[in-house]
Amino acid sequence: MNSPQLKLRGVRKRYASVTALRGVDITLAPGGSLAILGPNGAGKSTLLRVMAGLAHPTAGRIEFAGGKHDRGQVGYLGHATLLYPELTARENLIFAGRLYGVNSPQARADQLLAEEGLGEVAERRVGGFSRGMAQRLSIARARVHSPKLLLLDEPFTGLDEPAAQRLTERLTTLSAEGHGLVLTTHEISRAARLARSAVILVDGTVQESIDSDAMSEAELRAAYARALEAAP
Amino acid sequence: MNVALAILWKDLVSEWRSRDRVVAMLIFSILMAVVFHFALPDQDPEALRALTPGLLWTAYLFAALLGLNRSFALELENDALGGLALAPGNRGWIFLGKAAANWVLISIVQVLTAGVFAVFYRVDLLPGLTGLASVVGLGTLGICAAGTLLAAMAVRTGFREVLLPVLLLPALFPILAGAVQGSMAAVAGRPVPFESLQLLFVIDGVYLIVAFLGFDYVLDE
Amino acid sequence: MKPGNETAPNPEADIPSPLEARMSRWRRPLGIVLGLLTIGYAWSVVSAPIDHTQGVIQKILYVHPPLAYGAYLGFVITGFAGMVFLGRGREDLDRLAIASAEVGVIFCTLMLVTGPIWARGTWGVWWSWDARLTVTLLLWFVYLAYLLLRGFGGRNPRTARFAAIYGVLGLVLIPLNYYVIEIFGSRSMHPENLKQGSLGDGMGLPFLLGNLALAGAFFYLLLLRWEVESQRAREDDQGSEARVGGPRAPKD
Repeated sequence: MNSPQLKLRGVRKRYASVTALRGVDITLAPGGSLAILGPNGAGKSTLLRVMAGLAHPTAGRIEFAGGKHDRGQVGYLGHATLLYPELTARENLIFAGRLYGVNSPQARADQLLAEEGLGEVAERRVGGFSRGMAQRLSIARARVHSPKLLLLDEPFTGLDEPAAQRLTERLTTLSAEGHGLVLTTHEISRAARLARSAVILVDGTVQESIDSDAMSEAELRAAYARALEAAP
Repeated sequence: MNVALAILWKDLVSEWRSRDRVVAMLIFSILMAVVFHFALPDQDPEALRALTPGLLWTAYLFAALLGLNRSFALELENDALGGLALAPGNRGWIFLGKAAANWVLISIVQVLTAGVFAVFYRVDLLPGLTGLASVVGLGTLGICAAGTLLAAMAVRTGFREVLLPVLLLPALFPILAGAVQGSMAAVAGRPVPFESLQLLFVIDGVYLIVAFLGFDYVLDE
Repeated sequence: MKPGNETAPNPEADIPSPLEARMSRWRRPLGIVLGLLTIGYAWSVVSAPIDHTQGVIQKILYVHPPLAYGAYLGFVITGFAGMVFLGRGREDLDRLAIASAEVGVIFCTLMLVTGPIWARGTWGVWWSWDARLTVTLLLWFVYLAYLLLRGFGGRNPRTARFAAIYGVLGLVLIPLNYYVIEIFGSRSMHPENLKQGSLGDGMGLPFLLGNLALAGAFFYLLLLRWEVESQRAREDDQGSEARVGGPRAPKD
């Protein structure tokens, strides 16, 4: 089950007084993985929100397998956890599952809780969770409907090393199974390990892009440095 | 449809855990009953009884404003509203879920408030109860339809709580007119005029449609 | 404007848009006609006969009803322009909606001011909860709220969408309010309609000129305000191109 091809053409996004994206073209092949790198305020998060169907592009197109965008095929992890503090971890996942029309949300919730190592705190309210626990639950939430394409905005934030390790392994597996993967991160080494292609975003523009099956960390670092230099 | 039910369930469970919205609305409503006592001093009990439906609706209206504002304040924490917007399908169902939850919570408060007014102003609400309940139910549905849509907008502007009454009240005057006329008839033991119910039906329908279709644009970024 | 559709507005679209450019060419000729009309209008109002029963106050007739037409026209344009903006992403029509709401509110305010003056003179009270008066007051609140929403929300695409939805709500409120008044309303003191010849001798011409002049004023102000709005949008556009940054996503 490969993810559908994701295609962005001339995507622009203007907020009240800033232009966050100014004509972005990206194509993610079926089952591909992409790292979005760039300095703070480059528009990485906006780009992910556009891909998720949360933000509507001011101009340009976004296509799924040549057709319309479908929110049901996308799993999104943002800066905020998207969780309800009044509900327990399990209830949060069941609720998210029902939003996506998952067949048996209870079973899916239990499965994800076990995978994320949150089984023991399943019945605890999320309001009392640490940043790392909330982040893990949030990742589980993004995967609740088994989306073909995962969009992760800084997924390693708040995770301790073992948890980050586990996440890296899980993402590698998912990617090998044919899931599409798009992530933003500051850690170039992780990006090189997880993604087969990369774009470097500066001031809302793609400055450099790498698309080779064997993207090396050194190659990525070099591209990053070039992109920063080239930017005005 | 499932999305609407899921949101209804989620809102009711959250409210059951905290109970803050219902309690705040209820206390506010009781306070309103006391305010009216001081605002209308030395009234003949008979005259006051005739005024009760109008007073009751005044309390209902402002209590509803309070509850509607909170309804989306909760969704702003952790960008939960963004989480709802991610759900596939028509976003009108999200509106319906939120509106249904608001309707249930506000209705609970309204039943209790009616009891308080009945005691304070010595009005016997029981004979006209079915008529009163249908008018209140329909009127509140319209309030929740317009209120849920406008609260979702107001809460995302810089002025949050201030803006909702200004936006919502002008849209509620037709409901208020129909609901008060209907309630007065019910409390006086007369049958509820058909025009009242018809009017409330029409307004509910129109508001539900506008809000269902408009909610997509509200949630877009 | 669902994500992924093809009708996304184009920021490269010219400001002013072709429609705006075409419309603004009409403003100057309209202004000249308006100037001439105003002179004739003023003369005809002064020379119109004084009403036997109401006295000089009756001359409010020559401004009051035409103001009402302008107010309602403004609100209807706001609603429809907002709808097209939502459906097709036409930002120029969003700017028209702002202009139209503001001009409509001005006309409505003047109507609500002239009404009580006339009412005091003929009915003996400043304010009566007369059916049409009440409805108009309610609508005035709706569009005042519309402008507040615009003002509080700031100049950005999201506020424009919110305002457009609110404008549509205002549009459906016009018939709803009249429906309420028809069911429960008090007897109206307003004449139901002005039949041919219901105006006294010599009152027809100033009334006609009043309608024309105020309609001209409405459209002149509308075009002027629309131009200002499009000018501002152009400046905003240039400003935002110069700035970069991510979203304030979580706080939104």
